[in-house]
Amino acid sequence: MSYLTVHNAIKRFGDFQALNDVSIEVKKGEFFTLLGPSGCGKTTLLRSIAGFNDLTSGAITLDGTNLRAVPPHKRDIGMVFQDYAIFPHLSVFDNVAFGLKPRKVPAPEIKTRVMQALSAVRLQSMAERLPAAMSGGQQQRIGLARAMVINPRLLLMDEPLSNLDAKLRIELREEIRDIQKQVDIATIYVTHDQEEALAISDRICVMSNGRIEQIGTPQEIYGDPQTRFVAGFVGTLNTLESGAATDALLGRLGLTSRAGLTWAVRPENIGLAGSGFTGEQLSGTVKKFTYLGREAHLLVTTEVGDLVVHVANPSRSAILEPGAATTVVVPAESLMAFDADGRRAATGG
Amino acid sequence: MARPNFWTLIAIFTWALLILLLFVPVGSVLTSSLYDRAGNFSLTNYITFFSEPRFFTAFVNTLVVGAGGLFGALLLGSIMAFCITRFQIAGGKFASLLAILALVSPPFIGAYSWIVLFGAGGLVRNLLREVGITMPPIYGLTGILIVFSLKFYPYVYLLVSGALANVNRSLEEAAEGLGLTPWQRTMQISFPLVFPALSAGGLLALIHAIADFGTPRLLGRGYSTLATEAYAAYSAEVGSNMSMGTTISVILIAVSMIFVLLQRYMSRRNVYHGNLINKPAKIRLKGWRNVLAHVAVYFIALCGALPVIVSVIYSFRKTSGPVFKEGFALQSYERIIFNLGDVVRNSLSFSTASVLLIIVIGTLIGTLVARRTTISTSLLDGAFMIPYVMPGIVIGIAYIAAFNTGPIVLTGTAAIIVLSIFIRRLPYTVRTTASALRQISPSMEEAAVSLGYSPLRAFLRVTVPLIVPGIIAGGMLSFVTAINELSSSLVLYVGSTMTMPVRIYLLILDGDFGVAAALATILLAISGLAVYIAFRFLGRNEQALL
Repeated sequence: MSYLTVHNAIKRFGDFQALNDVSIEVKKGEFFTLLGPSGCGKTTLLRSIAGFNDLTSGAITLDGTNLRAVPPHKRDIGMVFQDYAIFPHLSVFDNVAFGLKPRKVPAPEIKTRVMQALSAVRLQSMAERLPAAMSGGQQQRIGLARAMVINPRLLLMDEPLSNLDAKLRIELREEIRDIQKQVDIATIYVTHDQEEALAISDRICVMSNGRIEQIGTPQEIYGDPQTRFVAGFVGTLNTLESGAATDALLGRLGLTSRAGLTWAVRPENIGLAGSGFTGEQLSGTVKKFTYLGREAHLLVTTEVGDLVVHVANPSRSAILEPGAATTVVVPAESLMAFDADGRRAATGG
Repeated sequence: MARPNFWTLIAIFTWALLILLLFVPVGSVLTSSLYDRAGNFSLTNYITFFSEPRFFTAFVNTLVVGAGGLFGALLLGSIMAFCITRFQIAGGKFASLLAILALVSPPFIGAYSWIVLFGAGGLVRNLLREVGITMPPIYGLTGILIVFSLKFYPYVYLLVSGALANVNRSLEEAAEGLGLTPWQRTMQISFPLVFPALSAGGLLALIHAIADFGTPRLLGRGYSTLATEAYAAYSAEVGSNMSMGTTISVILIAVSMIFVLLQRYMSRRNVYHGNLINKPAKIRLKGWRNVLAHVAVYFIALCGALPVIVSVIYSFRKTSGPVFKEGFALQSYERIIFNLGDVVRNSLSFSTASVLLIIVIGTLIGTLVARRTTISTSLLDGAFMIPYVMPGIVIGIAYIAAFNTGPIVLTGTAAIIVLSIFIRRLPYTVRTTASALRQISPSMEEAAVSLGYSPLRAFLRVTVPLIVPGIIAGGMLSFVTAINELSSSLVLYVGSTMTMPVRIYLLILDGDFGVAAALATILLAISGLAVYIAFRFLGRNEQALL
């Protein structure tokens, strides 16, 4: 039984169609992520659920009630903002207590609930400080505590980590995930960072141009992308040049191609000869070698086009200079085919 | 549904206000200038203006003092800005304070203090004569230009020092790395970066120089400008020529407008948003260069503040009637308490009334402009530029033209003075409120809404507390402008609505400098207090004074 449903949502801003017939269902306690490039409609959808902009048409229900009939301040939905939106004129404590006041919570209870929320985000020692001089990570923790303390029916997060530096982003996303599981609250999380989405979500909804491309678990989204857009946006993708060489390779792999199909493969699902991959071999020359420590990225020119190959744990002596000859191994099960509309096609292998 | 209705009402109110207090007076000036004395529509006044040598001379003189004030202010202001932002100057903050003092000092008093020191019987001139140096008295064009340069340089100084302090040092270092000489660096990197500030400061100096009425009146000795001619045409005891006064006013507005548009055109492309990763460092100069920089800064700052210093000292001198005696006494202040209490009260109550109006109405209109982009805000923005370029004397004449007869008669009332101050300063509050609101992220109010506050309560609980310090500070600075306002009040006052600046002007004309100096000192103390309160609320933000 779904908790939040958005049904056939359409939103137009003048001539621009921000949401084009979008439907999602979120379960109780689920961490649901909207993933996509900027302008794909993910923030518009989130703000429609929050009530900051109304849909042109469509339905939103939360726990059986029609949300579109409820004004935003009565929806009981917690929200965390990209720019934190911490009130600079209030102390950390008063920021977190802000949402409890209109709920007429008695003062002693405010105190215990605020301190509980602050200790959940590890800021209990800073309750009396003013937020202005605090770091972005600390401000976003206040934002999280402030949204959680009202025990909202739904938690919305609009790219909450995108203004933080890389290391803090990883640290805070783990915390967000832990707190969300503890409180067991349905959460909708917006991000354009595919790695973040994979790490944090129960399910991911990939969007582009106001449409839903695919909804699924992180494993389904990454391992079994249903559209070419999803495959390319989540992870990297090598596209094989169409032509005789590719057809020959497919034939050797026992795959049958059709006109209009595009074939692609992820860089980590192919390997160099002798690296444990089994499949058909393609000879080529190294164009570029990038050493990244725990892996190395190679760009290899082959008869089916330039292929990126990711090599895990490259040995320090295995550096290949540009121009060196090498052999790429392509396993049959690694290849994905997409039709002319970008949809995943059965590979018939 | 209450909110949209409320803001629609505010929009209607704003336009009604602008029509009544701005378009009707300006329209009256324009129509009055287009009718001859017999009441027939004609261009006689304009033909007279351009054919009579007297008016043409005033026109040329206005351009001369405008250009002179502009270049003097640019020269002094940029030297001081450059020295203070780039070199370590002992007591640099004190020098800035002196610049602020010059800026908020009451008008006229500057001109008169210079007469006291360098006039025909001037103190310094007499001293110099005793050691055998004769210098010409300060009257005429030279005197006007000296006073304008020293009175208006703070506009350039405050704007340019702000801009210079924000030039990313990496840009100059990059230019150095590319092999540019220091001179090339200054001209090709720093100068374009501060040009918008330089031209904006210069424009303020220029507009104030063109509009200034008191300085040429006192120092000019026959050197007339459009502002003095307009006042003369209006106030002549015999044969007051209102239509000539309004004609000159129209030309004065046109001249100011042309310069505003010119400045906008010149700095249209030069908007830079520096990042402040690499703030410029102040260099510690050595030897004669250090001495030179200090002398330059303190010479400019002290000369600019000299009128203030002179009036404070003279306000405590012993007098017998208008004549100064040896020694010090509080006689001048006693005379104010016994005879001029109502003038001080008028000034305080008129200024307070206009500032309260400015704060309440300016904040509402500023919110409207920032939040309701559906209404034609650019039109409103344009309309609000008009009071900015209207010289005070023109506002005064326009209000007389509009409210002397007809459905609304206000001449001789306190209301007309309050409203004339109100409309001149309103644009500043509207702009500062609108820009303050635009700086507050909309997610701030959205956060409050998501936490259970209705939109109106979110605005009151989150946005208002954030902009209130700025509004109070802006109100205090409006108060400084209001209480020092002279030229429009001079046209609009009657005996019972006389204000302190008007009284100072009349006292100086009467030669009673002791009381004038004491009144000026009181005015200065009030202004100083207001500036202090503003800085307490806003931080020491000297550019907010402009």
